[in-house]
Amino acid sequence: MSIVLKAEKLSKWYGNILGISDINLEIKPGITGLLGPNGAGKSTFLKLAAGQLKPKLGSLQIFGENVFGNHRLFQRIGFCPEYDSAYMDMSGWQFIMLLAHLHGYAPCAAEAMSEKALTEVGLVESKDRLIKGYSFGMRQRLRLASSILHEPEMLMLDEPLRGIDPLWRIKIIQLIKEYEKQGRTVIVSSHILPEIEAMTNEIVLIHQGKIFAKGDIQRIRGLIDSHPHQVSILCPDPRRLAARLIGNEYVLSIEFTTQGRGLTVKTNQRDHFFKALMHLIAEDRLTVEEITSPDDNLQAVFDYLIGK
Amino acid sequence: MKNSNLIAVIFSSFFKSGLKTARTRVFILLSLVPVLLMVIVRLIDASGAPDFFSHIMLSLYFQLLIPVLALFFGTTIVNEELDNKTLVYLTTCPVPRRSIILGKYLAAFMLLLTIVASGFLLSFMAAAANRLGQLAAWEELGIFLGTSMLALFCYSALFTLAGTFMKKSILIGLFFVFGWESVVQYFPGVTQKFTIIHWIKSLLPVGASQGGFLIFQLQPSPALESILVLLAAGALFLFLAVFIFERKEYILSDNA
Repeated sequence: MSIVLKAEKLSKWYGNILGISDINLEIKPGITGLLGPNGAGKSTFLKLAAGQLKPKLGSLQIFGENVFGNHRLFQRIGFCPEYDSAYMDMSGWQFIMLLAHLHGYAPCAAEAMSEKALTEVGLVESKDRLIKGYSFGMRQRLRLASSILHEPEMLMLDEPLRGIDPLWRIKIIQLIKEYEKQGRTVIVSSHILPEIEAMTNEIVLIHQGKIFAKGDIQRIRGLIDSHPHQVSILCPDPRRLAARLIGNEYVLSIEFTTQGRGLTVKTNQRDHFFKALMHLIAEDRLTVEEITSPDDNLQAVFDYLIGK
Repeated sequence: MKNSNLIAVIFSSFFKSGLKTARTRVFILLSLVPVLLMVIVRLIDASGAPDFFSHIMLSLYFQLLIPVLALFFGTTIVNEELDNKTLVYLTTCPVPRRSIILGKYLAAFMLLLTIVASGFLLSFMAAAANRLGQLAAWEELGIFLGTSMLALFCYSALFTLAGTFMKKSILIGLFFVFGWESVVQYFPGVTQKFTIIHWIKSLLPVGASQGGFLIFQLQPSPALESILVLLAAGALFLFLAVFIFERKEYILSDNA
């Protein structure tokens, strides 16, 4: 497969603030997930790839061409930015039609493409409303429509599922997968692992402006699964639950909370532990009010992986 | 798609949406203030209306409304896109950046011209209601309209340029309009030629009588020279605005 995006020693900083540093990356057709905590450099990378920023050092090429100032390349690229921004005094239809005209479509084709894009994100019904009357999720879907309008060969989506309701999340994930099936390239960023997992196996982990790991998600998952994980359980009889858990092979330690109404379990096999816990609750008819996992976020995983 | 077509698409879209903004509505109302004054003068003293018309054109329109309107519309051509983080939608279309800024500049210019020309016409109708059959009255209106077009072209190009590279361009622009332009126009000799208002006033039938309260007065330049200077300055400002906009990296978010 040919290389669609190639970054060599790519660096970008804003004054004294580091955006990304010395990134070498090749992306081929298919879906690639950019994963990293907030402020990791995902958006900076995508903005460089979308020609919104100039590299300070190194180079970034898409389809073999530099991006900044190369407007013709945007016939082949679609970009959905992270910002909640739009021309609020325009209707959704006017906004999409403006972009369709700027992509060079004749009036009839522009209408057809706009209608199609708005249908795909479920905004046809509200296309004539002013954008300022849209909800956050609707504006997010409109941004997505603007990026797929011209059916680009390469699509870059910066946190595309942010603020979208669960039903539309599923539909958008399907839409993105459909792009992959058509042989196109999609780069999608997120700081939520399950979102990326639902779309692709190919991920790039970014942390503090550097590529931390790249490859199959299962490998990363393996690292994450073996990461000592804390699970807080709120229940009326924590001593009974602790007695049942103490012999479990996946439990490293158990601590009672100060209020005496719960316990915190440390495990090194999160998924196996949850299976065993569910089995135990069902078997012993234990009452559990709440299960939370304070470590279940990407920052904790990254901290673990980099050995903090 | 040709550049001219792309400019036309951007012009048309932003002209239409610009007509609906609160800012345009406020400035339309402001531009009607001189009309109201004109009507009041007409009702009080009909014989003095034509003279008052000339003076109101100069003091309210050319020295205040036109530069202020051009400032607010010109600087926002780029700054508004940055503040609202909408520039990304235009710059990720297969459109040269020069078409974006030129299309938006044209839309702003036409909005300004619509606001100013409608105010002019209404003021003129109120001032010259009994002279509408006289060619001289229409000639005077023609001079004011033509000069206002040149003034809008030059001022809005200057403020478009300021907006391409300055974040606080409105503050700098206000200093320019109410500081530099208001004071330096009365300096002696060639110094006053470093203001835009000097060349504008040189084209108007009034102006030489202005500045009586100061020691120095307007020393008008020839009309042809004034037209050429305003056209050249406007074109230069616009060229520089395009030059900067094509090359500058605009950072829309602080989030890295």
